[in-house]
Amino acid sequence: MSSRPIAVTASRTLTIAAWIAGIAVWAALPWLLGRGSVDILVFAGLYTIAGLGVSFLLGQCGIVSLAQSVFYGIGAYSTAYGTTVLGWPIPACMLAGIVVSGLVAMLVGTPVLRLSGYFLALATLALAIMGHVLFLEWDWLTGGTLGIGGIPHLSLFGFTLNTPFRFYYFIWPCAAVVLWLHYNLLRSRTGIALRAMRDAPSAAKVAGIRVESLRVRTFILSAVLGSFAGSLFAHYVSFVSIDSFGIDRAIGFLLIAVLGGARSISGTVVGALFVTAAPNLLSRLGEIHPLLFALLLIVAVIFLPSGFGGAFADLWRRLGGSLRPTVKDGTP
Amino acid sequence: MTEAADALLKVRNISRHFGGLQVLRHVDFAVPERSITGLIGPNGAGKSTLFNIISGFLTPSEGDIDYAGVRITPLSIQQRSEMGLMRSFQTPQVFPDLTVWENLIVGCHKHGRSGMVEGLLALPVVWRERRAASEAAQRILEDFNLGAVSGRLARELPAGQQRIVELARAVIARPRLLCLDEPSSGLSADEVQDLMATIHRISKTGVTILLVSHDMELISVCERIHALCFGEIIANGTLAEIQAHPDVREAYLGIQ
Repeated sequence: MSSRPIAVTASRTLTIAAWIAGIAVWAALPWLLGRGSVDILVFAGLYTIAGLGVSFLLGQCGIVSLAQSVFYGIGAYSTAYGTTVLGWPIPACMLAGIVVSGLVAMLVGTPVLRLSGYFLALATLALAIMGHVLFLEWDWLTGGTLGIGGIPHLSLFGFTLNTPFRFYYFIWPCAAVVLWLHYNLLRSRTGIALRAMRDAPSAAKVAGIRVESLRVRTFILSAVLGSFAGSLFAHYVSFVSIDSFGIDRAIGFLLIAVLGGARSISGTVVGALFVTAAPNLLSRLGEIHPLLFALLLIVAVIFLPSGFGGAFADLWRRLGGSLRPTVKDGTP
Repeated sequence: MTEAADALLKVRNISRHFGGLQVLRHVDFAVPERSITGLIGPNGAGKSTLFNIISGFLTPSEGDIDYAGVRITPLSIQQRSEMGLMRSFQTPQVFPDLTVWENLIVGCHKHGRSGMVEGLLALPVVWRERRAASEAAQRILEDFNLGAVSGRLARELPAGQQRIVELARAVIARPRLLCLDEPSSGLSADEVQDLMATIHRISKTGVTILLVSHDMELISVCERIHALCFGEIIANGTLAEIQAHPDVREAYLGIQ
């Protein structure tokens, strides 16, 4: 027992050191990397936000969602249409996207989330397909295959965020805030209820947890994240077209959740980095790169069944003693 | 009739069929407030179905459930839980990937009011609720002797301890009626003794207990027992009366 305070202190020191080092590396990266690489990191930030929605649903609710591309699209088109055609202020467009996504998630989620397992995954896939078709067909709103251009860049404190370098310093703090909010949620009454109902829904109902409503609310939260990321994406690239909101994007978001480790919130960052950077790095090896990416995915899934986040948590636990000083008083 | 008058739970004329299979036939009985009432019956007697109907997991084909003077037949599981009607399950339903501590915190869920937005923003209400839940959990950990395993994941515990966690989680929710479904299955003789002591202790705090069990030793904690056979109540009385009842001896104990 006497070694516990030492182990806890060591763990805390290690945590603080890792945080400082991490932030220093994060701040230095755009100065060291080329424009192309920073662009990839910006996308990793965008995908962290959208992917977290999918990851949280999967890890804390057990819901496999392939519908995130739809909400990403709703966010992007709301911003594109609102700013270029309607001339609305940027925050209003973002909010409109969030509200529409939330409403769609509520209307679709209420019946669909009664399903479970493969049926639910297929239903969300159907939603992704329907979304893609509607984005294509409603060309008065979305510009169809031609897309919508001329979307204004964001401006902050007199800086126009029109380069990867500038957007990098905006998107990652956004992602950090979103991650922090989800950490909070996980530790709250609602977060514990979520994990309880994922593991034993019947017992959760007896404990008074309104399982169906909580699933729908979490789906809405996920959609809100997707929409927010979509809006930011539109402002970053200033041109959106149907290509960005296909099934491959939906699968990409799910991949972020699976690779990152669905039960780990910070793992989403690693998942997003992998999904954005790996294909790009591998493409330098020539035509064979899609095959290599697929191979890498298989290897990752086999050797890291709980994703990068799960593997990292294990390693951390071994390095810093126990990550769960919970043993002492039981509180996480 | 005095029993029915101050009954906390009244099962009134409950029938249930699954397709052509009649599982319960006009079942009628009452559970007096603050009593420990037993329900026995051989396998397939309809005990679990009746339990599921009382707790809201199934709707009856006919009849009604009254609880605390309210007809609760149309109410959801959660609404019944809010009214203090809690149950355990035949196979213990702990939250396997949550620690014992967190399992107890889930038990406090219905005492809190904070929602998703408050949770995301970690508003003070979330912390207040957490503190209140932690204090309650600390007390229950001591009462149920779970202090040593509070940080362990529930799935790492042996079956007997999982049952205790499930029971502790029900008690922390401050039940008025606690329905226990075969709580001694999978327990050793010593553990059954402990369980009996625990049930007595819970009962002394004013909680009404309805107990379904095969275990004649455990059922001896009950003041009144109802015997269910092929979906019908065939006898009721004290343990001695039930054991002497010819219908029960034939149907349940297999003795002529």
